[in-house]
Amino acid sequence: MSEHEMNDIPTPPLPPVDGLLSGRVAIVTGAGQGVGEGIAASMARAGATVLLAARRAETGEPAAERIRAAGGNAEFVRCDVTVPADVEAAVAGAVERHGRLDTMVHNAVSPPGAPRAIQDIDDETIDLQIATSTTASFYCARAAFPHLRADYGSLILLTSPAGIEGSGNLPLYGTIKGAQRGLLKSLALEWGPAGVRVNAIAPVAWTPAMDVATEANPTLEARLRARTPLQRIGDPTDDIGPVAVFLASPLSRHMTGQTLAVDGGRYLGL
Amino acid sequence: MARRHALIVGAGDPADAVAVGLEARGWAVTRMADDTLEWTDDTVDSRLPGRDPIDLVVHARYPAPARRRSALVDLSDEDWYRMADEPLEAAVRLARSAHADLAATSGTMVFLVPLMASAGGDGFAPMATAAEGIRIMAKSLAKTWGHDGIRVHALTLDPSAFLAEADAAGMAEANSLHDPPLGRVPDLAAEVAPIVDALAGDDFASLVGASLVVDGGLWMPG
Repeated sequence: MSEHEMNDIPTPPLPPVDGLLSGRVAIVTGAGQGVGEGIAASMARAGATVLLAARRAETGEPAAERIRAAGGNAEFVRCDVTVPADVEAAVAGAVERHGRLDTMVHNAVSPPGAPRAIQDIDDETIDLQIATSTTASFYCARAAFPHLRADYGSLILLTSPAGIEGSGNLPLYGTIKGAQRGLLKSLALEWGPAGVRVNAIAPVAWTPAMDVATEANPTLEARLRARTPLQRIGDPTDDIGPVAVFLASPLSRHMTGQTLAVDGGRYLGL
Repeated sequence: MARRHALIVGAGDPADAVAVGLEARGWAVTRMADDTLEWTDDTVDSRLPGRDPIDLVVHARYPAPARRRSALVDLSDEDWYRMADEPLEAAVRLARSAHADLAATSGTMVFLVPLMASAGGDGFAPMATAAEGIRIMAKSLAKTWGHDGIRVHALTLDPSAFLAEADAAGMAEANSLHDPPLGRVPDLAAEVAPIVDALAGDDFASLVGASLVVDGGLWMPG
């Protein structure tokens, strides 16, 4: 659990997941912090060997070390997801060192920044947001597929409720997150016959970006909690991570093309 | 009363047919049908200097490369850019540059998207990526532009509105176990254009951010 306190809404303890992903190998992009690190930690807890792909060693290496210190198998790989050669090298490294790749999780995203209307967004931001979310989803999918198909692997994309209902505050963010859902549904159709599943998670969780947002807007957390049936913001490791474990495991073997909103019930529009 | 002015962006159908349908309903239509244009904030101004006020912008811009069937693993970086990123970027930039025109007229923007945006499309992952991003952008724009008097909607159309006949036929088969309840796919000029017309009219002034499926009843999500 993160440093954020649970409130007094009863929350059941997590059941053990030891061995659920034993022998499996996963890459998680944007894993130096936040939801990416949480998913990596949760997958490692379930027995997977996890490669934490991150642009900066300053965040990626310590995150991998935290997982190793907790008994997991984890390693940092430097990877800028907007550079196809970096993504291909991360995949090749996983296969070379561990013999396989079962799950590719694309979580990396360029921070959406402060709320802005679309007409106030500059070219550089448009290009970067598209590059890290949609283009990088393509790079990750293309590089991983030959290995995922070898043993019923899966691709998991991190999208957002904003990618389903749109966002007035972050219209470009909603656009790119929606784009990822168009991709995942099409790949579910395209790759299903090869036994490869493609799903997405739309989380609301404590991340460094959420920390910044709540510090800038002190009433945000209370308002968000009040509008969330489970009345708390998700923990990356204990709330979001287990759903990624589920999607990576054979427990979800008959699910593909789906988006799971993991947000305490905040979004009920699916 | 002055004729209302529509700007329709995109080459081929469904832009062509909807333009015909809107003209038949009394709209003055300006086309921007050169899909090879590189979109910037100045694209509309440079092509249409001194234009009449714009009451309606219809986006249906999916350049030819985006409409091509292909397996994702076979795509090069350049392929992906031409098929997914460029159409998405251009739509964002069109929206960005259309805001001032539409705010001046309390106008309407309608995005025409192919069914694979929300339903997926085997072999059309890049087009679906761009299209679903665009469909969701319509909702985001509706949320912010409503304060400026602008209404934004998306119409999801049967793949046949965008694709070659053989590709569209396969798509319909993949997405539905039944024939269209209407017995046919709606005609773009005679049946879809009137919906665009209505969305831009006073009768639907309270409808904001609608995402409507106009495919004869094949796809009924949610």
